[in-house]
Amino acid sequence: MEHLQTLKLKCLSLQDYLKGLPPVILDSLYDHPATCMGVFRELPELARYHTMRILYVEQPISKAAAAAWVKIAAKPDHEIAVKSMLDLRVWIETSLQGSDSTAYTVNSVFRRNLQKALVGENDPVLSTSHLGSDKHAKNTESLSNYADERWEAVLLHMVGSDNKSTISQDLKELMLQAGLMKQEHGTGKVITAKGFQFLLLDNATQVWYFVREYLDWIRGRGMNLVQILRFIFELSFSTLGTDLPTDERDEHVLTCLQHFREMGIIMQRKRKSRRFYPTHLAVDLVNKANKPVSTVVNKHGFIVAETNFRVCAYTESDLHYSILSLFCEMEYRFPNMCVLRLTRESVQRAVVNGITADQILHYIKANAHAEMLKDDPILAPTVADQIRLWAMERDRLTYRDGVLYNQFLAQKDFEVLRNYAQWGCFGSVVRYMVVTMEGHDQVKRYWKKIKKES
Amino acid sequence: MAEELERQLLVVIFDVNPVWWGIKSLQGQAQITKYLDCLRVFVNSYLLLHFDNHLAIIASHSTKSVFLYPPMKETGVIEPEETAPTDKVGNDRRYGHFARVDNTVTDKFKELMREGCEESDIRRDSVIAGSMATALCCIHRMQNELPGKLNSRILVIKAADDAASQYMSFMNIIFAAQKERVVIDACILGHNSGLLQQACDMTNGLYLQIPNQDVFLQYLLTAFLTEAELRKHSIVLSQSTRPREVDYRAACFCHRSLVDIGFVCSVCLSIFCQFSPICSTCETAFKPPPMAAKTRKKRKTPA
Repeated sequence: MEHLQTLKLKCLSLQDYLKGLPPVILDSLYDHPATCMGVFRELPELARYHTMRILYVEQPISKAAAAAWVKIAAKPDHEIAVKSMLDLRVWIETSLQGSDSTAYTVNSVFRRNLQKALVGENDPVLSTSHLGSDKHAKNTESLSNYADERWEAVLLHMVGSDNKSTISQDLKELMLQAGLMKQEHGTGKVITAKGFQFLLLDNATQVWYFVREYLDWIRGRGMNLVQILRFIFELSFSTLGTDLPTDERDEHVLTCLQHFREMGIIMQRKRKSRRFYPTHLAVDLVNKANKPVSTVVNKHGFIVAETNFRVCAYTESDLHYSILSLFCEMEYRFPNMCVLRLTRESVQRAVVNGITADQILHYIKANAHAEMLKDDPILAPTVADQIRLWAMERDRLTYRDGVLYNQFLAQKDFEVLRNYAQWGCFGSVVRYMVVTMEGHDQVKRYWKKIKKES
Repeated sequence: MAEELERQLLVVIFDVNPVWWGIKSLQGQAQITKYLDCLRVFVNSYLLLHFDNHLAIIASHSTKSVFLYPPMKETGVIEPEETAPTDKVGNDRRYGHFARVDNTVTDKFKELMREGCEESDIRRDSVIAGSMATALCCIHRMQNELPGKLNSRILVIKAADDAASQYMSFMNIIFAAQKERVVIDACILGHNSGLLQQACDMTNGLYLQIPNQDVFLQYLLTAFLTEAELRKHSIVLSQSTRPREVDYRAACFCHRSLVDIGFVCSVCLSIFCQFSPICSTCETAFKPPPMAAKTRKKRKTPA
């Protein structure tokens, strides 16, 4: 079973990601108000209040004084808060003058830039006023459609059903790097088990996962991570429907801009256009990155799962069909809907691909049709249980390492050893036995002892 | 954490009494603009805490209350340029949001100052009670408009002295706030206010008279940024910030002075410091007290 679990898709939150960065990068990252604000919002609640409290206090605060800010009951929360701030280098440990006791102070770069954000000195950078008004100004609705369309194209490429192939080489490479797809001989690129799981996540989580992989990828290509992270934070604090200029941006950021344009995170009318619009994917990027998946319920649900295991999907999107056919058998297909069936085989096929029963159930629930949402529970318990049972059928075996003993010369030898090693498995007829790894040494010693004696 | 579903709403009431600030400014002690700057940093910090934090600022003049934020039209409708970008899909009220709040507050404040004072406006007290009532209405409306639970709080930054004439409306506001579970905090720049002490005590709010006015912003950030819920469970604020003795004396209806012992109308519960044969509130006629009874105790005479 272990080899299956390692395949499980891990989605780190932004905070965890930042913690993994080297201190030098973190410090240079804080040299911009937008990143400071973004990181500040990522902090636990108590940490935010603590930081605000000493934002304008220049002297370090002793550890004891900081601990006195919270009631005894909230002590664990306080410790988590302080730890997360130290990890992110928002607070820095120092020592008080004239004593050895630990004290905390706000990272001076962070302090300066957060203050800047609060008093509002950050406007001039973000203006497109010198470009005049945009003839092709976009409203929020068209932006949102554009973003969804682009993102769907990326996903469609993954399921291999895009014939037009509008995805650039860079993104294809990224998908390979992220392990969402793999190169196979003869057939070209195919989706991996990780990719299957990725498809079942909700949009915001998908985008965040993808961007995180993207960050690793550009780091590998030697691009300036700090500039790009800063750009991402800037995007997430921008206003939907307001354009931003492309002038005065780093070369690396401009490359990143084109990638983001392709993913639908930003909208730029032409490659040469001097302005771009962040879409809702960009605005949600940082804020939704650590939102628990279970709370996301899609407003435009299309799936009706009946108690007889029939699934009707009221959708025209190829992507939805492809995802559904990961764990259902297609029965009929009509212009605006399709009928599928959940079967033992189809569910087990999904399980082989590394998809868990919970992911299937979550996908159905998250995309449930409005009619289905009226019932409580959303999905009939019989169906939910049956999917779990089918998935569990594949888990009958547990894998353990062992050592095979065979080619015994005599039946007696075999019997002696069998009687000693009671926890192995035996095949009496062919005279072989398997001993667990832990028992192997002991059995080996015993065997040598007997050999010597005889 | 249930943080996802709960929103915070903070209504700040800023006392802009012309007499109090005028005197302070003449004495060279405090400039209202400096305090307004502090307030702006404070509200920005509040908005920074969580992307779904809501805010309103009301200026309390000597005879009127004016919304500094969100910008309201004469009819009380929130101006459309404010509501348009607060789109459900994007929830995009950040970054640019700070600038918008800053500009709106500054513009509205300038407008208020430019209107100047008429003769009737020169009073030593502000319409704090009126502003608080406006705040409660604003909270009520937000509660109706926004989905999910809304934790509301009113922060009164009070400069001028109490007006005993506001006693009745004050009491009504406190009870309304209690019922709506709105917490009232008070930050006092001038003399202690008995009425606000009562309000804070009854709604579990925080009452703080600022001893050192140079560090106004630090007081705001330390004490008044924390949500009431968090204060209860985790954050400790210095003990001395809570009033030990709350003055619960009532003001009489005839002279608006605080009384320890007085006369109470048995019909409408109006309070008087002297005996009057006809209740001025409900016009019930009372018999005069018998002369023999010299003890001036609370007297309840049935009609």
